[in-house]
Amino acid sequence: MADQFDPRYRLAPRQTEDPGARRRARMLLEQQRDRLREIPRRPENIGRFEAWAEGRDLPDDRPRIGTLCTLIPFELVYALGGLPVRLGCGNAALVQRGEEVLTGDVCPLAKASFASFLDPQGPAGGCAAVVLPSSCDAKRKLGEILADFSPTFVFNLPPEQDAHRYGRFAADEVARLAQFLARVLGRRLTRRSLRRAVREGRRRTALVRALQDARAREPGALSVRDFFLILQALHQGADPQDWAREASRVLEWARAYRPERPRMRPRLVLTGAPLQWPNFKLLHLIEESGADVVADTLCTGAQSLYDPVVADEWSRGAQYRSLAQRYVFASACPCFISQATRLSRVLDLVDATRADGVVHHGLRLCQLFDIETYRLSQVLKERKIPFLHVRTDYSLEDVEQLRVRFEAFLEQVEGV
Amino acid sequence: MIAVGLDVGSTTTKAVVLEDERTVRAAYLCPSGDLPADTARRVVDEVLGRAEMTSSDVDVVATTGYGRRLADIGDVVMTEIKACAAGILFGQPEGEPIHTVIDVGGQDTKVIALGDGGQIEDFSMNDKCAAGTGRFLEVLSAKLGLDYEAFVEAACGAQTTIQMNATCAVFAESEVVGLLARGVAKADIAAAAHDAMANRIASMVRRVGVRGRYAFVGGGARNRAMVEALGEHLNQALYVPEDAQLVVALGAAVGGARKARARRRGPGATEKEQA
Repeated sequence: MADQFDPRYRLAPRQTEDPGARRRARMLLEQQRDRLREIPRRPENIGRFEAWAEGRDLPDDRPRIGTLCTLIPFELVYALGGLPVRLGCGNAALVQRGEEVLTGDVCPLAKASFASFLDPQGPAGGCAAVVLPSSCDAKRKLGEILADFSPTFVFNLPPEQDAHRYGRFAADEVARLAQFLARVLGRRLTRRSLRRAVREGRRRTALVRALQDARAREPGALSVRDFFLILQALHQGADPQDWAREASRVLEWARAYRPERPRMRPRLVLTGAPLQWPNFKLLHLIEESGADVVADTLCTGAQSLYDPVVADEWSRGAQYRSLAQRYVFASACPCFISQATRLSRVLDLVDATRADGVVHHGLRLCQLFDIETYRLSQVLKERKIPFLHVRTDYSLEDVEQLRVRFEAFLEQVEGV
Repeated sequence: MIAVGLDVGSTTTKAVVLEDERTVRAAYLCPSGDLPADTARRVVDEVLGRAEMTSSDVDVVATTGYGRRLADIGDVVMTEIKACAAGILFGQPEGEPIHTVIDVGGQDTKVIALGDGGQIEDFSMNDKCAAGTGRFLEVLSAKLGLDYEAFVEAACGAQTTIQMNATCAVFAESEVVGLLARGVAKADIAAAAHDAMANRIASMVRRVGVRGRYAFVGGGARNRAMVEALGEHLNQALYVPEDAQLVVALGAAVGGARKARARRRGPGATEKEQA
């Protein structure tokens, strides 16, 4: 298989020690953990998810595949005996480091994630390869830079979610990714191992849906911040079996919750750009202002594990097609030219969860989500669904301004 | 019933004493300083003194503004957005209902769209930086070596043709340095700064998708050059209330009084049902 990047222009990887940046990153993590401790009701085993989400306690008996973004068919990695570890990073203290190579006008998620490569002790160093989808300009161009550090594959996405026109293209890309992974992991992909990985994935999906249902019924059962931590722990490199066991315990615990009084808090649907631990600024703000997120379309939230891979034929080609169906054509990502998938999803969720309003998170410098705001706001306005657009980045300096905006939105939702 | 509305802003703290939801008995404002909680207490004492009252005469104190939670003297807390809308509705001219409120403060700028019944339909605020806020003009007046009043006066008299940016106060400062070096008159720069900011605010107003009569409030509305420039960009003469800087504090008093009245009628019923 030909390399995606021309080896003639490969550069020596740049890595430097910056203990100061590491200390700042640790401080920020500690600060954010303290905020989580203020959540009134937390599952007993939440510490395990916290550790996984921070890249601690990961199994070291299998090779790791670094990923950026959740549009990657994780089943392929599991089936080949690898462990997907998300290198996407939400630590505000690392944004500055990324600028040593990337320009200032790149989003904080890309910059902070890239910082992991610049640090000789960063999590990227432990990965056998890196896989990222071409879901935005930053990632499309980051691939070639990452290839200087580690074997890298850019999973090409079609421009439209039209399976008739692009189904073959997407399935071919899945096949190409499978080939790349088999090569770096030195394993052969069998139909049986992929079938097993798909089945396990479906069980995880069912678990996440059950958790989501429990939260939609009774949001007090599990804070959205803990829910996000649980979801992100999996893609951050937890052993999938351990993860499923612990998540089942949380589900049982959440289902057993009986509130003393009916919950009166405004119910919100959260949509927009990813919120990656420890960048939970907006989630803190929503819960601390007295509102509940009852559903979300975030690729770092429930959406990342919500759609099952549907397969009824088990030929190699059929398996690849069903993975493409799940990861490409069902995605709510704004990288495709029509935003209908996400719009429909948001409207469905508002309806299904009896939500009072929608909050849209825009990550500064992410033009895709930014531009989609226009249609989203108008469509919701037409349906008289209260809508708030919050555009921010990782920094904490605008928290008070956001608080005013958010509280005013709640006043509007509650009609006081 | 006596209600005190207290607006602890980033630059100025304002208070209004309202009697029976009808008459403004006294108003007072002073710079917020570096200890907003102390200033807030002092402002309340002062405004009550001016109304010839003591704190025992007061039925409710409502706080708003960025220091709304700092001030530990409030019985009711509300956002500036809600208070601003209530303040405008209280004093709006008869037969000319306001549908859009533009509030230019020291640290942020807001646009509020009101429905026919005065309810808040939508709002927008500037991003976290100083662009489009009162602070932007303050920074530039200092760079020009003019006090704020003189800066505004200079802008009013100038027929400038200079184009300036208003996306960042710090960049605008360096732009001013460049213009001064080219020998451009200070009055022209002052006018260009107002125009750039008005341009920015007008586009924010249209983004909210507003209609009808515009009201302009907050410290920014005391700036004559700003009122003119914004009026030109919005193609309408703006309604500027007499005490434009006090509108939010007044709105807080109105909101607080309403809440106190609702509570008196007994628990169980919502504020809306009783209003």
